[in-house]
Amino acid sequence: MLSKILEFLYLKVLVNIVVQRESTLVYIEVCSKKGVVDEAGREFKTILLNDQMYDFIHEYIKESPYFYISILDTSIVQGAIPACEKNKLRYYYDLSLSEYKCFDNKWSFYTVKKEIYEIERKYEEIGIDMIFSPFVLLANFFQDKIDNNLALYALIQDGFISVAVFENSQLLYAEHLDILMKDEAEDILLNEDIDENVDLDLDEGINLDDIDADEANIDSLDEFGDIEDLDAIEDISEFSDSKDVEEELHESDDALPEDEENKTFNEDYQRFSMIQLAVSHFYKDDRYESRFIENVYIADGAGVTNDLKKYLEEEMFFNVYVRQADLGAEVCELAKMELGL
Amino acid sequence: MKYSYIKPRKKTPITPELQIIFTFFAMTLIMLFLTYAFLLYKDYTFKKERQTTIEQKKELKANIKDMQKQISFIQKQKALAEKVFTQNMVLKDSIANLFDLVPQRITLSHAKLLKNGLILYGITPNKDVYNFMLQAPLRSIFHKTYSSFYPAKNGWLMFVSKNYMDEAQARELDSEN
Repeated sequence: MLSKILEFLYLKVLVNIVVQRESTLVYIEVCSKKGVVDEAGREFKTILLNDQMYDFIHEYIKESPYFYISILDTSIVQGAIPACEKNKLRYYYDLSLSEYKCFDNKWSFYTVKKEIYEIERKYEEIGIDMIFSPFVLLANFFQDKIDNNLALYALIQDGFISVAVFENSQLLYAEHLDILMKDEAEDILLNEDIDENVDLDLDEGINLDDIDADEANIDSLDEFGDIEDLDAIEDISEFSDSKDVEEELHESDDALPEDEENKTFNEDYQRFSMIQLAVSHFYKDDRYESRFIENVYIADGAGVTNDLKKYLEEEMFFNVYVRQADLGAEVCELAKMELGL
Repeated sequence: MKYSYIKPRKKTPITPELQIIFTFFAMTLIMLFLTYAFLLYKDYTFKKERQTTIEQKKELKANIKDMQKQISFIQKQKALAEKVFTQNMVLKDSIANLFDLVPQRITLSHAKLLKNGLILYGITPNKDVYNFMLQAPLRSIFHKTYSSFYPAKNGWLMFVSKNYMDEAQARELDSEN
């Protein structure tokens, strides 16, 4: 009773950490019962808890004893499974070494226990209260779309992509991909004997070998505009029916930046490759209930350019909608939901 | 724990610093209460002692009063004893003087000391010895002297001498004593 009264009197400090490939985003919200009192965010050029980050976080958490530190799980071995029943989980993945949780009794998300311990060890100076799966973040971010759509949803982080296919809020397929593992993944993709019944025209798309990340060869990108198939994509009437007009309007206000540097282009192409790989897995793997994907919703937490959208639309004939996602703020939303604020 | 892999740590506003402060205040309060309790106890014992002392004082006062009474009584007794002693001394001196008055040839057989007189019974060889050697000094002391004689078996005379003083002089002598 006393603790409830004290909790009511104090402000709550929500510290949200998103570890990226070379940096760490820290987003802090100070909340009262009435709402957000203060918010702050900073990016640190480190993936470990250094003194600057500690000082920044400590400056806020010292204000209230009711502080909660959340982090987005970055482990490579994590994912989601379209089942909640224990006997069905094993069919998709061996969870003996993993920690898993059920989401709304519809699907499960998991990560390796070792990685949880590793995160807790890395941040033991400040302590970690909540570790969220990117799939939960994705599901929460696209909650309005997931409930009544069949689409592929992708959360793009700096270094990672979390891909999930939902149909009317039921997960069909999910995969967490590390961009650094791209080369390996590409090899797998090229070497695998993709089911011939599923005609994705992957082989006729961009020739991966022709793409070079070197600045000198950037002019070769002009070739994309010359592909006749892609120019004619808008003529396909059946695809236009499934377009999400509302999302397009929303997107037009928030136009994506054009590719400015080769690095961005290269990254977007890598992302495209990973999504392509995930889609092929979804169609190919017999364990998952296969559905034809027409729409792709991307939560952009890394600053993708229009190229990614273009690739997906032109190469895979998807209707692509990109929403900017402030990962720190989204993790904070999850923390609030978790704490019931 | 709906969406997070781990459970949030239990939060409490009682930080280690607050714990120290609370401990300090708690100890201070405990010490204050202990001091207060000690003072209450001391006050109680002091009141009790005071009551006892008052009672003792009353008792002692009563004792003192009693003792003063005893002292005054003893003083009176002492005064009386001294007076008696003095009177006895005077009497002793008087008797000694009386017996000094009696000559060797006269023998006293009986003497009575009265408040204002003296009665002597004795034997004398003859009247002259008595008149000259005993009656003369008795007359110088007493105002009235009466003597009577009767013969003894051995031919001597037995006598009775009654000597009286005036009342005023007798009272004066008493007051002197």
